[in-house]
Amino acid sequence: MTNWFEGSLTWGIFAMFAIWVIVLLLIVLGFVTYAIYYERKVIGWMQGRYGPNRVGPFGLLQTVADILKLLMKEDTIPAKADRVLFKLAPVIAFVPSFAVLAVIPYTETLVFANLNVGLLYFAALSSISTIGILLGGWASNNKYALLGGMRSGAQMISYEIPLIISVAGVILMSGSLNLGDIVKAQGNGFWQWNFIPQIIGFSVFIVASIAELNRTPFDLPEAESELVAGYHVEYSGFRFAFFMLAEYVYVYAIASLTTVLFLGGWKPLFPFLDFIPGIIWFIIKFLFVVFCLFWLRATLPRMRIDQLMGLGWKVLLPLSLANLFITAVVMEWFR
Amino acid sequence: MSSITQFFSSSEHVIFFVLALGAISGAVFMITLSKLVHMILSLAVTFLSLAGLYVLLNAEFVAFAQVLIYAGAVTILMMFGIMLTKHEDAEDKAKRPRHRMLLGVSITLLFAVLFLAIQQLSLPAQDALQADNNTEAIGEQLFTLHVIPFELVSLLLTVAFIGSIIVAKKEAE
Amino acid sequence: MEYEVNYVIVALFISIGILLPAIALSIGRWLRPHRPLDEKLTTYESGNEPVGIGQIRYNIRYYLFALMFVIFDVEAVFLYPWAVAYRKLGLFALVEMLIFVSLLLIGLLYAWKKKVLQWN
Repeated sequence: MTNWFEGSLTWGIFAMFAIWVIVLLLIVLGFVTYAIYYERKVIGWMQGRYGPNRVGPFGLLQTVADILKLLMKEDTIPAKADRVLFKLAPVIAFVPSFAVLAVIPYTETLVFANLNVGLLYFAALSSISTIGILLGGWASNNKYALLGGMRSGAQMISYEIPLIISVAGVILMSGSLNLGDIVKAQGNGFWQWNFIPQIIGFSVFIVASIAELNRTPFDLPEAESELVAGYHVEYSGFRFAFFMLAEYVYVYAIASLTTVLFLGGWKPLFPFLDFIPGIIWFIIKFLFVVFCLFWLRATLPRMRIDQLMGLGWKVLLPLSLANLFITAVVMEWFR
Repeated sequence: MSSITQFFSSSEHVIFFVLALGAISGAVFMITLSKLVHMILSLAVTFLSLAGLYVLLNAEFVAFAQVLIYAGAVTILMMFGIMLTKHEDAEDKAKRPRHRMLLGVSITLLFAVLFLAIQQLSLPAQDALQADNNTEAIGEQLFTLHVIPFELVSLLLTVAFIGSIIVAKKEAE
Repeated sequence: MEYEVNYVIVALFISIGILLPAIALSIGRWLRPHRPLDEKLTTYESGNEPVGIGQIRYNIRYYLFALMFVIFDVEAVFLYPWAVAYRKLGLFALVEMLIFVSLLLIGLLYAWKKKVLQWN
């Protein structure tokens, strides 16, 4: 029997943990604020536009202004809506998106919760967000919202499967679900990172995670032109903001997870560059992944709904299983 | 009284109490709420509290398998199922006093039996597995000692899968 | 530090994740206007008066996708310990898993043939 608050975990240490978690929350909120700005700038640049440039120098305060505007907006709840679920849904969508960040290792020492089942924890919690989106669509009592919620839900669950199976190859190679150990199993130098031997798994992971994030080219459920806005059409003000926040926190989470699983986490690009601290390497790789996500959004057209489900089940799922068995057979060969 | 304060002096017991309360109240609300979607949500609370209890027992793999499959997948499945069906009007509960009384007596009896059985049960203390090789230990056991049940699971899943497709296709026509 | 401390941190993440929307929404209550009108409280339906209820029934294929999700989630839960312990298990475990997965793939192929995976 362990008495957690009487052993090494005193109230002082507990308070320190709480402060660290709040610091991370603030960093994530800052990231989301500037990821939105950066996304609009990048897409503007790629399309030969300026992007936001009015509020503050270079438009840097644009997102801050947007957030303040959302805070001041009237919060309407439709008379026919299910009030309890309507209020609960954005919270259910947001909480897992933040909770999954607990297991991300930034460097060898900077890790919040060093769980031995880290990867399973990530997969398990992120599936709960789907419930929030389904509930949001359902509670609004609006046909567009319901249809959007259903489509989002169906899409997220269809791509979650290839997502969690594609990482099984990485688990095979490192023999652990602990994200820190997965990074340690990769070496210094990019040729020792997982994305080369796991190139099929890596590709499936990237495609599935973009679909899971409901981002272009897989943003059909929110297709403004055909479904108004999807599951959150009845949401306004800060409740709407929390759905959006959850989406961008998942961008943060998925970009970090990609870095950890496939791009060597805090490991340097070349062994002779290891004088640069690990956290810098992590941030560089992380920002690169985020940039690629925005780049894809600017480049690719939206998919057709009838192609969408087929891709997940008929292409990505068999590919991820094939990747798993190829990895296992190769490992058996060189045993 | 003193035994209660003693019970709550350990933080593990407090956490156990909170999680058990969550599990039981989720189950109770599941039965008493009138809207089906609310019921499913309270069932999800029960699933999550159970996962918390597994963590308390150092069974972290089981805990997150529970979250993944029950709190995530099964809850979503039930929601899709419920949103598919027609249920604008909440069911009128048939009032049959004799029926209810019988039900009450049998539930009390069941509770008494379970309570006594649990009270008298004594589990021999076992060496708890170290948490750090949880997943690996499960893998080793599952794929050496329990191969047949494991393969039967896949058979069961496939049969369920194909069966439900047949049923759904029949419904659709 | 004991391993359990990690779960204290997880609990902190979850509770702060719940607190943020709770606090933000209650602060917002003082800032935002509140002037409900009957028109504001109707649901949006392209500007028309909403017809019937919003919680309509829809195609059964969504349910089948959810079912496939459950089945392959269970598969993934078996895959993970297998992948972790694979180094110690060897060829026999590989064969076991091949049988397991191919049985499920038969189910998937059946769904494919029955056009469940198609969106029309």
